[in-house]
Amino acid sequence: MKIIATYSIKGGVGKTATAVNLAYLAAQNGYRTLVWDLDPQGASSYYFRVKPKIKGGSKELIAGERELDGLIKATDFENLDLLPADFSFRNLDLVLDARKKPTQRLKQLLQPLSDSYDFIFLDCPPNISLLSEAIFESSDILLSPIIPTTLSLRTLEQLKKFIKENKLKNLQLMPFFSMADRRKNMHKDIMTTLSEKHSGILQTTIPYASDIERMGLERMPLGGYIKKSQSTEAYQDLWQEILTTIKLK
Amino acid sequence: MTVLPLHFELPEHMAADNFLSTLSKKIDFQIASEHYAIKTFYDSFDWRLYNADILCELNQSKTASHISLIDRNSGDCLALENQQDVPSFSHQFKDGRLKTKLDSLLEMRALLPLCQLPHQVFHINVLNKDKKTIVRIKLEEYEDLASRISLQPLKGYEKAVARISLLLEKSFELTPTQGSILNSALKLQGRKAKDYSSKLAIKLDPELRADKASKIIYRDLLKSIQINEAGTIADIDTEFLHDFRVAVRRTRAGLSQIKQVFPDKVMTHYASFFAWLGQITGATRDLDVYLLNYKQYKAALPESLQADIAPLYAFLKQKQKQAQTELAHHLKSPDYIKQLLAWEQYLKEPLPKKGCSSAANLTIKTLADQRIWKVYKRLIKEAEEITECSPAKVLHELRKTCKKLRYLMEFFQSLYPDNEINALIKALKGFQSVLGDFQDYEVQETSLKKFSEEMMVNKVQSNTFLAMGVLVQHLDTKRCAARQDFSKQYALFKCEQNKSAFKTLFAPQTEVKKS
Repeated sequence: MKIIATYSIKGGVGKTATAVNLAYLAAQNGYRTLVWDLDPQGASSYYFRVKPKIKGGSKELIAGERELDGLIKATDFENLDLLPADFSFRNLDLVLDARKKPTQRLKQLLQPLSDSYDFIFLDCPPNISLLSEAIFESSDILLSPIIPTTLSLRTLEQLKKFIKENKLKNLQLMPFFSMADRRKNMHKDIMTTLSEKHSGILQTTIPYASDIERMGLERMPLGGYIKKSQSTEAYQDLWQEILTTIKLK
Repeated sequence: MTVLPLHFELPEHMAADNFLSTLSKKIDFQIASEHYAIKTFYDSFDWRLYNADILCELNQSKTASHISLIDRNSGDCLALENQQDVPSFSHQFKDGRLKTKLDSLLEMRALLPLCQLPHQVFHINVLNKDKKTIVRIKLEEYEDLASRISLQPLKGYEKAVARISLLLEKSFELTPTQGSILNSALKLQGRKAKDYSSKLAIKLDPELRADKASKIIYRDLLKSIQINEAGTIADIDTEFLHDFRVAVRRTRAGLSQIKQVFPDKVMTHYASFFAWLGQITGATRDLDVYLLNYKQYKAALPESLQADIAPLYAFLKQKQKQAQTELAHHLKSPDYIKQLLAWEQYLKEPLPKKGCSSAANLTIKTLADQRIWKVYKRLIKEAEEITECSPAKVLHELRKTCKKLRYLMEFFQSLYPDNEINALIKALKGFQSVLGDFQDYEVQETSLKKFSEEMMVNKVQSNTFLAMGVLVQHLDTKRCAARQDFSKQYALFKCEQNKSAFKTLFAPQTEVKKS
């Protein structure tokens, strides 16, 4: 089982679209896949048409009173399940803080699912907090979308520093460009500069595209309503690049 | 918790369209796909998959074709592979769960199509108010059979599936169904599952006159000969011929051991016919056995010689093909057909009011007691005479006596308490197998030597003969081990418990009292 967190300190960078579309592709490849919507906004739950509500809320969940397995919902797609969000997730930080070894908690909760899934995607809320640390501790891959703007460099460096300082040796950071507009010279320039400075940035770029925006209307992953487009190809390439990087292809 | 019915049958008069239109008034759903498909069930001739509670089905549609193994009781899918055509043998499948499962169940038996069911499949998604799928329904509309509905629960939506199940059962008054569509399809063909087994299951009334009971036994054996005949001629797999030969051998043992129940002329005539049948089928069976053993032969060799044995396989294969052609020719000959028909006719004819001999007039139970007891005593006498230096021939004779006793006990099994006779048959089998091993290794050694002479002519590489030499050595070691094991196995068989069980079950009352 590989745990992939789609994470960024910033909001609105395409985390949820990445988690939902990559999970869809993994499931299409035959991998048993789960998306855990950790964002109280419940965007990925919305995309899968599942109510953003779990029995007992974050308190019972973190206390381990309910097994994760009992809260999982099948999506409309083969091999793809969802652990929905809940509005109480806005307090996850507080609930975690009340525990001993709070950063280990997510890892412990996910452990029993290791036989049931090949990939688990954690769709994370945008911030850097105790929950983020717990996510970093439990994940194998930190997939971080970067919009090619001047601020992105700062954000990426902050993240790298954080990983280094917290000695997260098992966590593989995979930044990639998201919502990129190749018509904008600034986007092109920043992408070139950043790729030169940071060797770990993935080759694939997810474009800014209206068909990805339409996910909110269609309420399903891109592949559910479009057979082939520049965007579907981009996600496909991104998924293949991830598989190659972790040598599962 | 009560188990929720997930499979239903539509009443015969209800077409899928009607059902769907009524359903649309009760729940919101969407037909995800509708297509024509053909479902073909497969099993071995002797129902090895069905006996293991497994169904093998190939589902073909315009766009997809896959083979799956289904748990017959739960309906769960145990293995699934994309597959256009179904190979005959498990080793021809690509590696994976399906192959592993089939390998262990089928062994050397071929997969054969049982029935083909063309049908229309509807995949239906039941939706909630967010248009999210909460239950999947598969509706299969068959041409000559009632349509079937299967509910596929989705994780986290257990209440929804319970609601739909209840709706189908109560509002639609559909009948929940447990059995597979296979059973209904077989019924339509006038067949039923497990309608063939190589095991004897002859039910006899102990009071029946011996000649009448004998006819029942022979009719059962004849049926086995006839049912395996086509597969033997077509060489579908090795077990058709094997079962054919077992039925022939049992008939021969019957004719020689259930003495004097029919007129001498009849007995002699058919004894020679079945002896001929045994003889003309022998060569092919022997070669089948060598080919089935080939993997073990190869594994017994040092790695450096394993590739060198390949010409032996080609040689055996070619020889088997020749022998098979001859065998098929014999089994298609007018003479064979005429003789077998005459035997069938004889077995059908009513018997005269009075049997042809005193043996024929005995009750079958009395005759069975007498024959089994006599052959058992002969077996013990022969076995007791065997010493460390006895020649192979003597052991071979003893093996034949064992077989005769075993067949008699199997013919008359229904006349004795199940657990008692079964325990004795099991004990006899154990003893018989050591004698069988000894004999088989010896025959294989001799044959390999003979084959090597024949292969010399084909300019085979010298390393092949070296490998065959090593193989002969290996078989000889095993033969010696079997020979040494003889006294141990015999001691086990003649233990006091078996001895007294044989006596109680079969000995005349006078002898039982004496002891």
